[in-house]
Amino acid sequence: MTDGQVLPQRLYEGTVTMPKLERSEWYDLCRDMNWCFKYVTDAEVFPEALSQSHGIPASAWWSWDEPYKISYREYVDNQAEKDAGVYSVRSAMARSRFFENLDPGWKAAIIAHYGAITMPEYLASIGEARMGRFGRAAAWRNMALYGTLDETRHGQIQLSFPHALLKKEPRFDWAHKAMHTNEWGVIALRHIFDDMFTANDAVSTAIQLTFTFETGFTNLQFLGMAADAMETGDVEFGTLISSIQTDEARHAQQGEPTLRVLIQNGKKAEAQRLVDAMFWRSWRMFALLTGLSMDYYTPLVHRSMSFKEFMLEWIIKQFTDQFRDLGLERPWYWDLFIQELDWLHHAYHLGVWFWRPTVWWNPDAGVSVAEREWLEAKYPGWHDRFGTYWQTIAENLRQGAIPLTYPETLPVVCNMCQIPVCSSTILAPPRLLTHGGRVYSFCSDPCKWIFEQNPTRYAGHLSIVDRFLAGHIQPPDLEGALAYMGLSPGERGVDATSYAWAFEQAPQAAAVAS
Amino acid sequence: MALVPLHAVFRGDFIGLLVPVDDRDTMDVVAQKVAYHVIHRRLPPQDAPMRVQYNGSVLPRDQTVGQAGMSPMTFVEVFYDASEHNNAGMDSGSYSRRPLGR
Repeated sequence: MTDGQVLPQRLYEGTVTMPKLERSEWYDLCRDMNWCFKYVTDAEVFPEALSQSHGIPASAWWSWDEPYKISYREYVDNQAEKDAGVYSVRSAMARSRFFENLDPGWKAAIIAHYGAITMPEYLASIGEARMGRFGRAAAWRNMALYGTLDETRHGQIQLSFPHALLKKEPRFDWAHKAMHTNEWGVIALRHIFDDMFTANDAVSTAIQLTFTFETGFTNLQFLGMAADAMETGDVEFGTLISSIQTDEARHAQQGEPTLRVLIQNGKKAEAQRLVDAMFWRSWRMFALLTGLSMDYYTPLVHRSMSFKEFMLEWIIKQFTDQFRDLGLERPWYWDLFIQELDWLHHAYHLGVWFWRPTVWWNPDAGVSVAEREWLEAKYPGWHDRFGTYWQTIAENLRQGAIPLTYPETLPVVCNMCQIPVCSSTILAPPRLLTHGGRVYSFCSDPCKWIFEQNPTRYAGHLSIVDRFLAGHIQPPDLEGALAYMGLSPGERGVDATSYAWAFEQAPQAAAVAS
Repeated sequence: MALVPLHAVFRGDFIGLLVPVDDRDTMDVVAQKVAYHVIHRRLPPQDAPMRVQYNGSVLPRDQTVGQAGMSPMTFVEVFYDASEHNNAGMDSGSYSRRPLGR
């Protein structure tokens, strides 16, 4: 038997080791399978509708690179380790009574989170897969493959966790159900996520999903939420979110190199437009979900910072730095955005609470005496702007006029963000636009501007109010609307603390009422 | 007689509302129908008449929706007109606090 014959056996047994190359010596060579096509055209391999080259030649995309540079084997190993850690925490927590002991406001935050985020994680895998196929560089496609698997994992894991809590709170099934309903917030979520990744080309997805939304908002949001969860005692949710964040931090890196290619090839204006449009859309959704969670649902003793402070310290600082580093400008509506930090999510919160039967969680009013003081300290002028509404509501509750604390009609929603048209003071007339014989109304100049950038992309969509007026909702009243939204009586939101906050201020009235 | 759903706000409130009115409703009635969803719910009543502003103009109280040329999703703003505090006509006192069903 020759050495050649025994070598495979010895390799198998591990008694012979082959010299290993340094990663830097093999990684790019193995990963970057870029070549010029001879038998097909670029347009056939990368149709513009799916890829969107912006006219940049194929070879110019090949400089695309990212810093993580992990192999598939390492990826799988890392992910298996992460899953083992997260699921072991879930197993341990399942035997405890942690959920029963959670604050009602925090329960609202996580039930809202699961319904809003779980299925969009699956949908994000479609966007990642599109980049994995139609991204213009092999390095990018490789990274997007990991992103596809990441998002699938995030969908699975965020279905598994709430599923384990179903016996304790049936509305955890909205983790799966929500995206299959026409609940108004879900319509808003589908609209932005379809725009951002489910129905977006590869280049725009990289810039709008991974740079603007993930790098800009959710990566940091997940860090903040994980910290808040741990503070609140929700170790399970905190562990889950932390695990997801580590994936986000990696695959979110697809945006920056894509932006660099665009900018280096004279397409800065197109890049800026993509960022501007999705930064605004993300801000509105972020204010709706995270703004309420941070400033109203998280127990006061566990709030490390206000939503505005979080935005200023993390989101805005980071984006300002990135805009500067990449040679981009701040979005044209920056001043308006900064102004909205003081009031938009407070208006959204009041709307969500007042229209509480239209959501699948129990909104925590979050306006006890101590919480009002905190809000006034964090947002000077909050009481004059919003506290007076809550005073009227609280007085109705104390007098037993509960029906006056419920809505009897729908709010008007914006034809872009699909969120009710709100204002902190006097409402300006809505921004109207006639397109194709139909009148569209918008909550703000940026929402109208986004529509105008590509009217045919958005024109066919019907808001919940458009559907109501078109006769899709029967009977045409609030009860019919709730049924249309998929909300059975047992699923509709009620006040998280059974109005305890209102009676705290007037103990005598509370005694009479009881 | 035709239903006209308006995009309405009450000055001082925080949100736009879908408020169905009839094309024969006067502006006084329109104001009442909008106020029904706001006053006593989020804003306290005031001792002043309510008026309707449309397209930059405050409309006569007896003008109807049809006469004003309003169509579905027309934007109107209703407000208390303190300058007419002592004038005759509808005021917050006539806006009764009705027991409301859900």
